[in-house]
Amino acid sequence: MQTSEAVSTNTNAKGNKKKSFQFLYFIGPHLILFFVFVLLPIVYGIYSSFTQWNLISDQTWVGLNNYKTILLDQDSTFYFQFRNGLKNTLLFVLYTIPFQILFPLLIATVMQHKGLKFKGLFQAIFYVPGLVSASAGALIWLLIFNPRLGPMNNLVNSDIVWTAQQPYAWIVIFVMSMWGAIGGNLIIYRSAMAGVSEDLYEAAEIDGAGAIRKFISITLPSIRFPLFYTFVMSTAGAFNVYVQPLMATNGGPNQSTTVLMMYIRNLAFGSGESVAGMASAMAVLLGLVILAVSALQFYVMTKRSKG
Amino acid sequence: MKKNNVSKYLAYAFLILLALVWLFPALFGLFTSFKSQGDIMEVGFRMFPANWIVTNYLKLLQNTSSAPIITWFFNSLFVSTTHALLVVVVVSLAAFGYTRVNFKGRDALFYGVLAISMFPSAVNIIPSYKIVDSLGWVNTYLAVIIPGLGGVGNVFLVRQFMQNIPAEYDESARMDGASDFVIYKNIILPLVKPVLIVAGMFSFVGSWNDFLWPTIVLSDVKKMTITAGLQLLQDLYGNYVMIGQLMSAAVIAMIPTVLLFVFAQKYFIDSLNLNVGIK
Repeated sequence: MQTSEAVSTNTNAKGNKKKSFQFLYFIGPHLILFFVFVLLPIVYGIYSSFTQWNLISDQTWVGLNNYKTILLDQDSTFYFQFRNGLKNTLLFVLYTIPFQILFPLLIATVMQHKGLKFKGLFQAIFYVPGLVSASAGALIWLLIFNPRLGPMNNLVNSDIVWTAQQPYAWIVIFVMSMWGAIGGNLIIYRSAMAGVSEDLYEAAEIDGAGAIRKFISITLPSIRFPLFYTFVMSTAGAFNVYVQPLMATNGGPNQSTTVLMMYIRNLAFGSGESVAGMASAMAVLLGLVILAVSALQFYVMTKRSKG
Repeated sequence: MKKNNVSKYLAYAFLILLALVWLFPALFGLFTSFKSQGDIMEVGFRMFPANWIVTNYLKLLQNTSSAPIITWFFNSLFVSTTHALLVVVVVSLAAFGYTRVNFKGRDALFYGVLAISMFPSAVNIIPSYKIVDSLGWVNTYLAVIIPGLGGVGNVFLVRQFMQNIPAEYDESARMDGASDFVIYKNIILPLVKPVLIVAGMFSFVGSWNDFLWPTIVLSDVKKMTITAGLQLLQDLYGNYVMIGQLMSAAVIAMIPTVLLFVFAQKYFIDSLNLNVGIK
């Protein structure tokens, strides 16, 4: 730092003054974009949740009214939509998160086997669907589950209309979503496992530990940080589920797969009069649920790893 | 030794079976895109086309009004490429500022920005639309290129990477009279190239696959991105009356990100580990 100031006084008499704002050339562009497209939307979104707003005319401050309607007014459709949307979103999280964590963990464990070849190829096959746009994947899966023409009904010789009745509608959404959701976690677990010292396993073997014992006492504790990371990130991601239920069932049958993001989007940008204030309140509540769940996960996991 | 062989074959059996299940949809979609409607309607399951035809793809090329898929494809290519390149520029500049330029409260500012960015993005969508609308960007590519540049994840990633570059590198250059910008351009940028490629590629894939946001800010059919457009296609070819074309559209939408992976597999795998902090 000293040297650089010495240089700038040598070469440029005004150097010092110029220097003090020079950091703005570097962080300025990102800071402006961050302000306009991240910070401002958060503040504006929270503010909007206390207003009545149709996206066009001025916002009218209504205090906690939107929240009261959503949470307490049992006669309101918004009350029903929020409850139903949150319930379906939570169901999706509950159905998919165990699979998104445990299944890649199982595959990674199997791939630890030393004699195996083509590990990179297997990994690629599981990972690539995650790079495919969910809407393209959905089109293909919907054909697979097509009642008349799809291979699914042909193979098991049934005539189930998959997307029109439960629990099949959820199964389609589950399969569609999980196709692209395991590869990333698989790669993370494999790298983490590769970092576990071989000596630990050998020592355990000498003590007569079997595969399961080794997995529980050595592998799991050694990869607990990546495990925790994927748990939190996958959960937060699952709360934003939208494309798959939209394309697969459009929320049906009987709104049993309408997730909260679908209600929020439709209330704000649907064909009817926009109720963006109400939708903002729902979005804020969804955000709070996500934060609360992340915090809970963080609390439980850090407590456990310390104890 | 023998026990080891048995477990090896079991492992192979498990992985091969699973790999087939995972490959099936992509291959089924690909093969179906070369089938005629009559071929598809035939009873019983067949993986491969009876006659390979390219008519489905040709028909897609001809559709320039209700579902101009080729237009969407190039829209997406333009949007995602531009977005990814801008991410590389904006993020590398910011990461340099947060690691290499000294100013008061630098780290506090960065952690503040990072903490705010953790707020769930569900809240941002409606106000972001209003902001983009007041900028006059609705139905322009700017609406899908620019807002994502405010994200903090990539800045965090590249900043971590830059912190590991020893300070001696720039100090000796500074003594030779190099300005911050020269140090950024000639010394730091070449050293962080791998992580910038990672950031750029992930931004490309993220932008290509983004669905919700483009359906909100792009209503003009000609302006649409392909990922968002496929939903229109589903309605248009509803009840699966033009399955071959539906599948060829899906295949076209999948090609760029899959190709990117094929050519840059190493970067994708490295990046996932960079994010978690393994290695």
